[in-house]
Amino acid sequence: MNEDKINNFILKSKKNNIILILLIILPVAAIFYSLFIGRYPLSFMDILRVLQSSINPQGSQEYPDIFNTVVLQIRLPRAILGAMVGGGLAISGAAFQGLFRNPLVSSGILGVSSGASFGAALAIILYGQNYMVYFFAFGFALLAVAMSFFIGQIYRSNPTIMLVLGGVVVSSIFSALVSFAKFIADPYEKLPSITFWLMGSLASTRYRDIFISIIPISIGVIGLIAIKWQINVLSMGDKEARALGVNNILAKVITVLCATLATAGAVSVSGNIGWVGLIIPHIGRMLIGNDNRLLIPVSFSLGAVFMILIDNLSRSLIGAEIPLGILTALIGGPFFIYLLKKTKGKGW
Amino acid sequence: MAFLKVKEACFGYNSQNILKDISFKMDKGQIFCLIGPNGSGKTTLLDCIMGILSLKSGKIFLQDQDISQLNPKKIAQKIAYVPQIHNKTFPYTVEEIVLMGRAAYNGMFNSPGYHDHQITHNAIKIVGIKHLKDRPYTELSGGEGQLVMIARALAQQASLMIMDEPTTHLDFQNSLIVLETIKRLVKERQLSVLLATHRLNHAFYFENNGLDTIAAMLNHQNFAVFGRPKEVLSTKNIGKVFNIDCQIIDYHLDQFYNQKYIIPVKTID
Repeated sequence: MNEDKINNFILKSKKNNIILILLIILPVAAIFYSLFIGRYPLSFMDILRVLQSSINPQGSQEYPDIFNTVVLQIRLPRAILGAMVGGGLAISGAAFQGLFRNPLVSSGILGVSSGASFGAALAIILYGQNYMVYFFAFGFALLAVAMSFFIGQIYRSNPTIMLVLGGVVVSSIFSALVSFAKFIADPYEKLPSITFWLMGSLASTRYRDIFISIIPISIGVIGLIAIKWQINVLSMGDKEARALGVNNILAKVITVLCATLATAGAVSVSGNIGWVGLIIPHIGRMLIGNDNRLLIPVSFSLGAVFMILIDNLSRSLIGAEIPLGILTALIGGPFFIYLLKKTKGKGW
Repeated sequence: MAFLKVKEACFGYNSQNILKDISFKMDKGQIFCLIGPNGSGKTTLLDCIMGILSLKSGKIFLQDQDISQLNPKKIAQKIAYVPQIHNKTFPYTVEEIVLMGRAAYNGMFNSPGYHDHQITHNAIKIVGIKHLKDRPYTELSGGEGQLVMIARALAQQASLMIMDEPTTHLDFQNSLIVLETIKRLVKERQLSVLLATHRLNHAFYFENNGLDTIAAMLNHQNFAVFGRPKEVLSTKNIGKVFNIDCQIIDYHLDQFYNQKYIIPVKTID
């Protein structure tokens, strides 16, 4: 009997190990794959040669420099940033869904996205398209969550619902401010930039963008992966979590903080990309169930893969780049319905 | 040494008192039935004992330790809670739910390990729901769900189990299954159980089965009566607390065993 139990446990951890290995391999494979996608005509061998000489720089370079630029300076950083953004949005969506005990919640629930949108619009109006956009977007994203949080404190007897309400109020205030910013923006120079930012894009990604956003995104992601099991317990509701011995206020604050950092870090470099933070966690639920011990890391990995693939479509479908927010909704929505139909909502 | 000691506990929101000067003691292996009309503060009292609500004045001691000095984790290692209505959200499996009883023994950034899984399996086995282990608990019936909650409380390895109306939504068979499970746990594991209930007959059930049972009727912020169910649950006391006319009948099941039963007749104006 006891041996049986141990075997069972080992079997389970073996299955988990396979999932963990897939979690790492899939995004790396997606990044590798996206090096081969793009408008600049490069053959399979060209790309392999670029990669080989970047690993082993001693050999003489017998191809034009532009190859290097396209593969290593444009496609690679873009794919890496895509992975970080998609993973960050999806993991915080999963965390928020557990925390608010509501499967319809997404990463933008506390006003992160609308705060970031307003920050970006303001920065574009004041300073034009430069690095200030990033800092304003990030700052206002944090500000929006802080505001939601304080609104949630007004009426303490049902803090979770108040927090969600705070998020709704703050989101609509910042959406109104974004509309106002668009209304007063110079329609020839600034307005198009704002509009494009709002639709989300990874175009013109440089390594600089990765260096800026890697700090908040990795703090958020690592924090959420560390606290993942507590999210299970928190999803039992405040009273039960407390009775089970969880310091529910501290655990909630840490979860909200980490999810906010990951989301804010993502949206401030990529613009508004909807759907990822809602549907990716659900795809995860349908694949591996609801236990956040697996769901949280799986969401990150699936989000990363999804974003990379969407971005590949965005830059290869038609002559111009299609904004990411449009593609995530167009592809994510129907795909989600297909999944619901196929799994009959299992895991929901 | 009393296991749980409540001393002159007062609780209220703002100026409104809900509980006033409540004092009682509970021993190991005892069943304490908290009875009272709707809104009399039963759940509030339970929340105070679990440290979820803080008393206005008075003290609660758990094995001689002041509850207000203990953190949630320490309290959860001694007191487990079986909720009345469980709002089901995500379809976790039964095993995942029971495992949550181990939260009190894991740090915030830990996931439960092999030892925790072993205790979880054991708790599932003791309650007798091994066949449900991998089922999503959102698909379970009310009775099965209640047993899962009891298994989770067992996994918590606390010596006091607090139950808020554990049989409210259950049919006859499931009520009895829950009662028999409680009885077994108290007898075999010396567990103490503090339960709030509207089913007064359950107090008789435990007493008739030879368990150390106390019944307390909560009314107007304090215990109206307190003692053995036989004495406390009289037509006079029940009539006064619930404002009803009632009859108590003795039914002899066999020569050793007689079961008391309360029949509510009509309200008193």
